[in-house]
Amino acid sequence: MKGLTNKRVVITGGASGIGAATVERFLEEGARVAVIDYDEAGGRALRKRHPNLAGVINADVADAAAVDRAFQELDGLLGGVDVAINNAAISLRHDFMNITPAEWRKVMSVDLDGVFYVAQQSAKRMLAGTGGVIINMGSTSGMNGYPRFADYNSAKAGVIELTRTMALELAPTIRVIAVCPGYVWTAMQEAEYTPEMKAAVDAKIPLRRHAAPGEIAALFAFLASDEAPYITGHPVIIDGGEIAGGLASR
Amino acid sequence: MKLKDRVAIITGATSGIGEASALLFAEEGASVTVTGRDDARGRRVLAAIAAAGGTAVFVRADVRLPGDCERIVAETLRAFGGRLDILFNNAGEFHPHNAIDCTEEEWDATVDSSLKGAWLMARYSLPTMIAQRRGVIINQASGWGIQGGNEAVAYCAAKGGLVVMTKAMAIDHGKQGIRVNCLCPGDVETPMLATDAEARRMTYADYMKGAANRPLGRVGTPSELARAALFLASDDSSFMTGAALVVDGGGIAG
Repeated sequence: MKGLTNKRVVITGGASGIGAATVERFLEEGARVAVIDYDEAGGRALRKRHPNLAGVINADVADAAAVDRAFQELDGLLGGVDVAINNAAISLRHDFMNITPAEWRKVMSVDLDGVFYVAQQSAKRMLAGTGGVIINMGSTSGMNGYPRFADYNSAKAGVIELTRTMALELAPTIRVIAVCPGYVWTAMQEAEYTPEMKAAVDAKIPLRRHAAPGEIAALFAFLASDEAPYITGHPVIIDGGEIAGGLASR
Repeated sequence: MKLKDRVAIITGATSGIGEASALLFAEEGASVTVTGRDDARGRRVLAAIAAAGGTAVFVRADVRLPGDCERIVAETLRAFGGRLDILFNNAGEFHPHNAIDCTEEEWDATVDSSLKGAWLMARYSLPTMIAQRRGVIINQASGWGIQGGNEAVAYCAAKGGLVVMTKAMAIDHGKQGIRVNCLCPGDVETPMLATDAEARRMTYADYMKGAANRPLGRVGTPSELARAALFLASDDSSFMTGAALVVDGGGIAG
């Protein structure tokens, strides 16, 4: 992708899953990459795999003060931000009737509050510099209903609307886009799925498979690059066709 | 090169986004069938591709006609070794009318060039793609296929139809290795805008000022849409199907 060489990129939740694949892709593209992740051991392992990382900062995106400190550290590492990939998120599988206020708050605090904190800190630096691109991790869960993830789905719908509004307010200096993946095969899925569960999910996806994390990373790279200068303010779905039909399609 | 050894058909490729895409796809290594109704413009695009060292053929055709669509595919297969990897349904026309002013001829011209033509081209292209177990279809929809626009009833109907037809085709042919996505541009600096300005009895300057009234503060360029089409055509979008990629400077975000 054109225009990613030497770009200063921050990726939250970069220690594992889609985040780690995105780190790898942006390093391949010649960008300068720093990661914010709350998983200290995962961050150390990432650093070991990629000695050319600009840095890994241990912080919880749900904590506004910690995000503020992380970005001050980032200023020292990168001297500014050109691309922010707001990827960190958590999910809990539980029935709507059983969600406790503490669980609801926990999911919202990482998946929506965290995106807001990181986006605002990034935008502050981009507005002071020469602009930039903020890509927020949405989900097809923010567009369709999925049982047992009411809190997560609500947070992701919030991310999509946050994206549109940020794009309107921050244009033309900053482009703001949401990426909405469907099912992605990460270590988290691998730990939780039986082969039967995976086959059942694959069968309802038109492409008949989960995404590889690198396929989502490729979309991040395209949207952040000079190949996509006219794209802002929209959710981009990458789901193998899953919600093209949803429950309405037999 | 992102499209090395791929074969692509681009309809409406004699001007605007189609022309820019034909040049870009050829530059990225694809063999390209350029189609359109205007012979002279088609030859000019062909010459430009050849001058840049690319490979292309021109098929003069009207995608509203089933026989022409069948011929575009047949001539492509003959020219490029029986392969077909990418179909970019880009052809379309625009007549600025509300429901009362729109004539039946204008309705048919608009809907048939965009929507029926895309279906016909897919119909004749899919058997080869399915046999290869690999193929990409890109439909040129519009932001006005998602939100409504003024004095554009037939166009909005055609483009909205394309957005949902894209999803329907993605569902049907995903398991056969075919990806189907659509592009949704806003206003792009093409001959279509100049024609529309004239039809709306506006000066080009006034028209363009209105068109630039969107978050990024400018209209798009054919090159920007061609690069988005390239992304959808390439393996970089290997998990995307049934999607609408909006490329409009934020035009329909608000």
